[in-house]
Amino acid sequence: MQNISEHPSKMLLQKRIELISSLLKEKSPTFLKQHARILDDYFHESFKRSIVNPRIDIDKNPYAIIALGGYGRKEQCVHSDIDLLFLFKKSISDKVEDLIQEIVYPLWDIGLEVGYATRSMEECVSFADKNFYVLTPLLDARFICGSPSIYSELMEQLREKIIYRQSKKIISRLIESNKERHSHFGDSTYLLQPNLKEGQGGLRDYHTMLWIGRIDFNLKRFRDLEYYGRLSHAEFQALIKALSFIWHVRNCLHQMTGRKCDQLYFEYQTELAKILKFKRTNGQEPVETFLGELHARMEFIKQQHLMFLEQGYLKKPKRKSKRLKYKKDEGLKVKKGMLRFRSLESVLDSPKLIIKIFEESARLKIPLSAEAKRIVNEFGNLVDDKFRTSTYVVKSFERILSAPVQTFNVLKEMLSTGFLERFIPEIKGIINRIQYDEYHLYPVDMHLLRTVQTIKSFGEAENNTYDPLYRNLYNELKHRKLLLWAAFLHDIGKGDPGKSHSERGAKIAKTLLSAKGLKPKEIETISFLIKEHLLLVKTATRRDIHDEETAIFCARKIKDVERLKMLYLLTIADSMATGPKAWNDWISTLLRDLFLKVLSILEKGELATREAVEIVEKKREEVIRSTQLPHRRENLESLFNVMSPRYLLFTPANELLKDIKLYNSLENKEFVWNITKASDRNTRTVKICAKDRPGLFSKIAGTFTLNNIDIIDAQIFTWRNNIALDIFEVKPPLDKLFEDERWEKVEKNLKSALSGRLDLASELCAKMSAYRSIKPRTLKMPNRIVVDNTTSSFFTIVEVFTYDFPGLLFSITDALFRCKLDIWIAKISTKIDQVVDVFYVRDFDGQKVDSPEQEEAINIAIKEILPKIS
Amino acid sequence: MKKIEAIIKPFKLDDVKEALNEIGIQGMTISEVKGYGRQKGHMEIYRGAEYVVDFIPKIKIEIVVESERADQVVDKIQESANTGKIGDGKIFVLSIEQAIRVRTGEKGKDAI
Repeated sequence: MQNISEHPSKMLLQKRIELISSLLKEKSPTFLKQHARILDDYFHESFKRSIVNPRIDIDKNPYAIIALGGYGRKEQCVHSDIDLLFLFKKSISDKVEDLIQEIVYPLWDIGLEVGYATRSMEECVSFADKNFYVLTPLLDARFICGSPSIYSELMEQLREKIIYRQSKKIISRLIESNKERHSHFGDSTYLLQPNLKEGQGGLRDYHTMLWIGRIDFNLKRFRDLEYYGRLSHAEFQALIKALSFIWHVRNCLHQMTGRKCDQLYFEYQTELAKILKFKRTNGQEPVETFLGELHARMEFIKQQHLMFLEQGYLKKPKRKSKRLKYKKDEGLKVKKGMLRFRSLESVLDSPKLIIKIFEESARLKIPLSAEAKRIVNEFGNLVDDKFRTSTYVVKSFERILSAPVQTFNVLKEMLSTGFLERFIPEIKGIINRIQYDEYHLYPVDMHLLRTVQTIKSFGEAENNTYDPLYRNLYNELKHRKLLLWAAFLHDIGKGDPGKSHSERGAKIAKTLLSAKGLKPKEIETISFLIKEHLLLVKTATRRDIHDEETAIFCARKIKDVERLKMLYLLTIADSMATGPKAWNDWISTLLRDLFLKVLSILEKGELATREAVEIVEKKREEVIRSTQLPHRRENLESLFNVMSPRYLLFTPANELLKDIKLYNSLENKEFVWNITKASDRNTRTVKICAKDRPGLFSKIAGTFTLNNIDIIDAQIFTWRNNIALDIFEVKPPLDKLFEDERWEKVEKNLKSALSGRLDLASELCAKMSAYRSIKPRTLKMPNRIVVDNTTSSFFTIVEVFTYDFPGLLFSITDALFRCKLDIWIAKISTKIDQVVDVFYVRDFDGQKVDSPEQEEAINIAIKEILPKIS
Repeated sequence: MKKIEAIIKPFKLDDVKEALNEIGIQGMTISEVKGYGRQKGHMEIYRGAEYVVDFIPKIKIEIVVESERADQVVDKIQESANTGKIGDGKIFVLSIEQAIRVRTGEKGKDAI
């Protein structure tokens, strides 16, 4: 019986503890190798002390203990499995169970995970031949102890019987499973919680390169890829650095979780960032800096591995390119379906080739070769200020930006080769910049490219996934390029910490775009789009979109239809490119509703033109200037917010002041009014201010008629605090002498009518039937009633064209009231004996009346009271 | 215990949340829902295509409180979500049989 305290497993345990604690103190670049070594030491020691081994007569029945997989590669992470193969030359010894107990069990006892297989040579080769998942770990096999010739024989047999014979098949199988893995791990969960081993850009990508190398050209060590010309020296160095970082993260994750955990779940991220000693940088929390760096490294590994595959192993589809042959002086050529530079000299002679190759890639829809990408990356200093501001280059970039969507993304290539960052240095701050929340799936740079991609896909004819409205709008745009620039730059302000990235971004864009030589109008539009790219979403979720004021507010900010369409498409693409939580049916309905309402205002719009905005602004200023007292100014400000937009637009400034005075005198009264004599004609202007209620207008009209006062013109405004301001231009009462007394009577009647004591309809009944039988003087045109539900998103518009007769207005407004309609805005005008009455109405619930039955009912009700013209 | 379910206009969410925080309500569940009542969606026409919103986007808030607090919470929601215009929404009060806190297993009042 061995002395327990000297047992090799106890020594192993001790060494492991030491090794791991030194790992946590500082990065140990040799951790993996040392860890493998102490395991090797254990096996050597165990084997030496083994009492079972002598019983197995290794001469007659040679065997070896072989390391497989990660252990074979000497890449043993803290809680990685230890994969072993007990390989026998002829047949498996019956003592092997005892051997396992002796050597493997103690490892379990100290908490390590060991996987082992016992095979004969023949079995092993046969299994590997039939089973892909047995073959791959064997590719990394390494001799630990026992009979070395067994190991060599195994490798030889694997090579001759399997690898040589089926190398193409195995490689394509590897690539196939690689593709599946990438597609599985490209899902959003994995973007937020990366899997260090299986994820895109994870360790498996590196293993795949290694295995293919082993199969294809018997690669022994990873660095040999450089010697075989598959990687440049710089790439190799960078790859090793990236892998070291990932291994270090993986080790710390294993240690932190106490198990073989390879996926960076949310709950581990912040703690791990702390363990890895990440600090707050540039306004980002340690966890964001950590994830940004991890993302960068994994992205690099992913790109390298894709380039590796492209260089020799991917079938290039036969592409029908428009032009595959370039002239000698054009500096480019196409080889094996990929674009490359004719020579390094041609690039040095003509640096514009750097952007030209990307443009051709977009135009012909073929990728750059690995060598070309390498050149772009390593000769980045050719992208100097002259290059950045050259008209040729800028125009070329714009063509790339606008090129239709395809399976591979030229912009992404420009990003990963480092070209984009040199061409537009302002994006430096957003490269790999992670936004740490559940919504943002991608770092900012990727998000911008995805936004561009999404917008272009709106225009694709074959695309059925989107609302056809997007395609229509996209195709209607006159200046698509501006929208694409805006999409590309919209989050560029996120490179600096702090709020209001939209405004910051707009400023950055202004400077950078003018350096690139864009026209001032173009720059203005693009920077507007960037500054307001959150406007529509904010408005839709924070304001009542069923209030006309909201649509007017947006319309006035956006000012024209083309900009609105661009802003809408940008908003949608931005949300879609953020992640699945940021875009869904709910928000898309809300946004579309707002968009259509704002569009309607802009298209039909007197309310939102630039002149309208200026006019209203001027009036506000004038009115505010007229008061000296600050508290009065405050009241005025809040009053302005309550006045309806039409009222502000159509009422002259001096009248505004008078109206405000009138309103202030209302208090709790039923109504207040103001009667003035027109200076140039014999009419009176009656201004009534009252609390709005259904039927108010008709009661006023009726009272006038009752008192024989003819209404010539009228304008009705309803403020947002439910105050009605009704302005009538009337013929004065016939009794000139006692005009004041007449008005007093009108006042009394109106008070009674409003309080319900006076029944106007019955009082007027007799009068009305007399009036209606009066024939109009001229019979030029028939009556016309129009019920319009398309012009406004917020009101039903009823227009009545007819002949004037006393009491007409009362009749019409009474009819509307009986249809249960509330009049919000009205414009009445009389020309000799022709009358045009326009009413903006809503039902008593405040909604439009757009069902066919309701529209019909309105028609009938009004027709009934109009003069019958034969 | 009572569960209060309120359907409100989306832009009123912040107001309601603040109002509830003021009276010491610290938790709630929110969902994006669609619906209609007397408020109906109306049709917009663009380039000849009709766009109707059959179901209008609203926000649903769910809160569970001790029965004694239910009235206070209902009043607060009604006050803060009210605009006076159609489509303001509705509030419902339901009885809750039991509540359990997942982390600790606490039941009843201790769970809410």
